[in-house]
Amino acid sequence: MKIRTKATVAAALMLGTMMLIAASIAWADAQVRKAVEQRRHCVEIASALNNIRMVTFEYLLNRRDRARFQEQVVWERLERLFANPVAFDAAASKMLSSLRGQGEDSHRLFSEVEATSGAGSDDEVQRRFEAQLSSRMLILQQNSLVQAEQLIRDAGDRIDQTQRRVVLITALGLVIMAVLTAATAWLFRRDVLGPIARLELATREVAAGNWSFELDMGSADELGDVARHFDAMTRALRDAFNQLQVSNRDLVVLNKELESFSYSVSHDLRSPLRSMDGFSLALLEDYGDQLDEEARDSLQRIRAASQRMGRLIDELLGLARVTRADLRIQDVDLSAMAEEILSSLAKAEPERRVRWEIESDMRVRGDHDLVAIALQNLLANAWKFTSKVADAVVRVGTREQDGERVCFVSDNGAGFDMAYAERLFGAFQRLHHERDFPGTGVGLATVQRVMHRHGWSLGAHAALGQGATFYFRPTEQDDERSEQDHPAG
Amino acid sequence: MNEASKTILLVEDNDDDVALTLRAFKRSHLMNPVAVVRDGVEALDFLFARGAHADKGAALPTLVILDLKLPKLDGLGVLKAMRAEARTSLLPTVILTSSKEEQDVIAGYSLGANSYVRKPVDFAEFLEAVKILGIYWLALNQVPPPQ
Repeated sequence: MKIRTKATVAAALMLGTMMLIAASIAWADAQVRKAVEQRRHCVEIASALNNIRMVTFEYLLNRRDRARFQEQVVWERLERLFANPVAFDAAASKMLSSLRGQGEDSHRLFSEVEATSGAGSDDEVQRRFEAQLSSRMLILQQNSLVQAEQLIRDAGDRIDQTQRRVVLITALGLVIMAVLTAATAWLFRRDVLGPIARLELATREVAAGNWSFELDMGSADELGDVARHFDAMTRALRDAFNQLQVSNRDLVVLNKELESFSYSVSHDLRSPLRSMDGFSLALLEDYGDQLDEEARDSLQRIRAASQRMGRLIDELLGLARVTRADLRIQDVDLSAMAEEILSSLAKAEPERRVRWEIESDMRVRGDHDLVAIALQNLLANAWKFTSKVADAVVRVGTREQDGERVCFVSDNGAGFDMAYAERLFGAFQRLHHERDFPGTGVGLATVQRVMHRHGWSLGAHAALGQGATFYFRPTEQDDERSEQDHPAG
Repeated sequence: MNEASKTILLVEDNDDDVALTLRAFKRSHLMNPVAVVRDGVEALDFLFARGAHADKGAALPTLVILDLKLPKLDGLGVLKAMRAEARTSLLPTVILTSSKEEQDVIAGYSLGANSYVRKPVDFAEFLEAVKILGIYWLALNQVPPPQ
């Protein structure tokens, strides 16, 4: 049964009991009123009957007209009382009508006595008849009085009885309500508080990572539904988590493989290149004088190609390292970093005249080493692509773009055609000829990888011959998000 | 110190690299005798005068040049065994290898390597590196007294 239904039933029972008590009180009130009224009525009747008796005695003793007149007045009062009988049951009304009959008889007898005495005859027969009438009348009156007293007592009994009944019914009602309240409290504990405590425990368990916790509540009520939904949710979470773990294990394996692959590449792929370069140089050194210009040029080309291949391998390994490295998020002073990189570039090529402008106090939250790799690549590019302009300028700074702060590295060098921009960040993609601007085409792919690891977006804007601007959005983020992005790292 | 102790022990399995390293020694005018061993186990046999090198005597080389990727026992294993033995625990050892993987560098230094040098592809650079190594380890550096 639903909790809602139980609550409704309990409330209805309570209400019913209260209405029962109220009804019984109302009924008792009516009963008591009626009984009081009857008693008052009967008291009046009794008082009138008593009066009649008194005047009858007086008349019989003194034969005064005043008494006769009084009897008439009292009889009329009695008649009015009998005309509006107040009775609460059949027995009482029967008794009242019998009283009325007796009253009428008594009144008739009184008239007869009066008529007899009014005749004035004084014989024995007459007196005896009169005495007989008088005694019958007095007996009748005595009887009536007794009956009226009885009616008064009955009314009093009725009041007592009704009061006892009300007390009984009220007590019974209170007991029923107490039982109902206790039952409701017990049901509330069993069906609501208990399950809620279990649910609370379950949420804590599941939140703590106990995926196997199941409520398994059999009840058919609303909380049972909640528990079943909760179990379903836990199962869904558990499945998703297990799947995630499987994928994570796969990723870990994959990452291990990538690592061992990188390791092998690092060790084994460079070794033949060293031989090619070394022995070509040995040939040039030992037999250079016996070779013609073309042969020496060929050997030089073998050396150049070997060395280029060596650089490519190194840069690819660098790219792989950027992907694998764990992020250590900290405050990075971009301004100082840019200054340092540009100074070292200037030191490496002292013949170049490049002016640079760096906005002061640029700070981002990121991995120091990875950000340095990205900035190194961006600045080295700017440095390289301004090599053919007279007044080379490299700028590093921040600006507002679409309501967000972005960092940029810009130059006034060779630039590129935006039509090829989508190829910009792919490994080994180049937008210039090697003979114009040497390079492997891994640099921007590395920058892109660094930005991706941080969850930052990278963009570029350029025009052929008018320089290039690279900008990135160093969005604030917590350390965890970066690690989720890289589960096997 | 006798003549035998001036020997350089080159632990290198790649013939080309052996030839190039010897050439670099020659062109750097390093006149020390060079003993070449081809794997990690042989390197330890040489150092501890056992196996094929049992009759060579107990003299230790003055410098060990150690490649990391070796058959049987790798360079790090050789280094570990050397440092565990009192006689060779202080023997100057330079790791000369293709890799500059961070894990290798850290492991090398943790196991007590004295230097870590990466073989450049460009032979001219390699020559320069060997020359500097020779000057440093064979002329400038004060070797520890024999244990």
